[in-house]
Amino acid sequence: MTPADKNGADDRLKALFALDEPAARDPVFSTEVMASVMRRRFQEDLAFLCAATLAGGAALWAIWPVLQPVLVTLSQGFAPALGVLALVACALIVVGGRIRTALGLAS
Amino acid sequence: MILTSLDESLVAAAQGGSAEAFSRLVERHQQAVRAFLRRACGNWAQADDLAQETFLAAWGRIGRLRTGASVRAWLCGIGYNKHLSAVRSAGRSRVREASYEADLDDAIDASAEDKLALEAAMAELPAEQRACVALCLAADFSHAEASEALGLPLGTVKSHISRGRARLLQALGVSDDAS
Repeated sequence: MTPADKNGADDRLKALFALDEPAARDPVFSTEVMASVMRRRFQEDLAFLCAATLAGGAALWAIWPVLQPVLVTLSQGFAPALGVLALVACALIVVGGRIRTALGLAS
Repeated sequence: MILTSLDESLVAAAQGGSAEAFSRLVERHQQAVRAFLRRACGNWAQADDLAQETFLAAWGRIGRLRTGASVRAWLCGIGYNKHLSAVRSAGRSRVREASYEADLDDAIDASAEDKLALEAAMAELPAEQRACVALCLAADFSHAEASEALGLPLGTVKSHISRGRARLLQALGVSDDAS
């Protein structure tokens, strides 16, 4: 077989293989993949939040006997401020990662 | 070279958590990964499912992709491992076979006979040989790139391609004195 014959045979193989080549752009496939990726990401976020909630609840339960008298003492003056701080902390936990990513600060 | 640097910047962004960058990587490499899996599996529907699983796994492992590595080879390597796992698990649905046959019927044209002969010959190749042929003869991977993707020694890849090529040409009725 000459080099020309060899190239011809390879070209023939390549032409036949090309018959099952998918389209260069396939928005349906790409969208399905990204939907799966986003679903996975959501599940991971949800798992993290559940674990954080459980850990926080357990920690609170453990220190409650100590915390309760302190809270009663402080609640008169600091209840509104503590409520706001708690909301801010929750918001940071939920959207903090997204904000860091959007700002390009996430490593 | 420009395309490689674009891949590198997309990988860097995806490693930083950018889903948009990863989406562009999917768009850029879906054709190569799906084509490879179609040729490796011989079943288009299953190949597309595996390709989707491949990208999903790649999203989880993108942080491990080292700088400068071939994204295409890395993705095909993940896809190949998915394919091997699927082959090992016996419980694959037979429904997809029917879908594959339907796809095949759609593709029938003047060269259908050759195409079917090629499909049959590919199906008879051992999995490793078939994967090497799918990457190097059908998708223009270099031997080194295929070796990296499949985790095989370079000499083994060359040997698989030489033998696989000879068997395919024989099936097509083309003599191959060069091999």
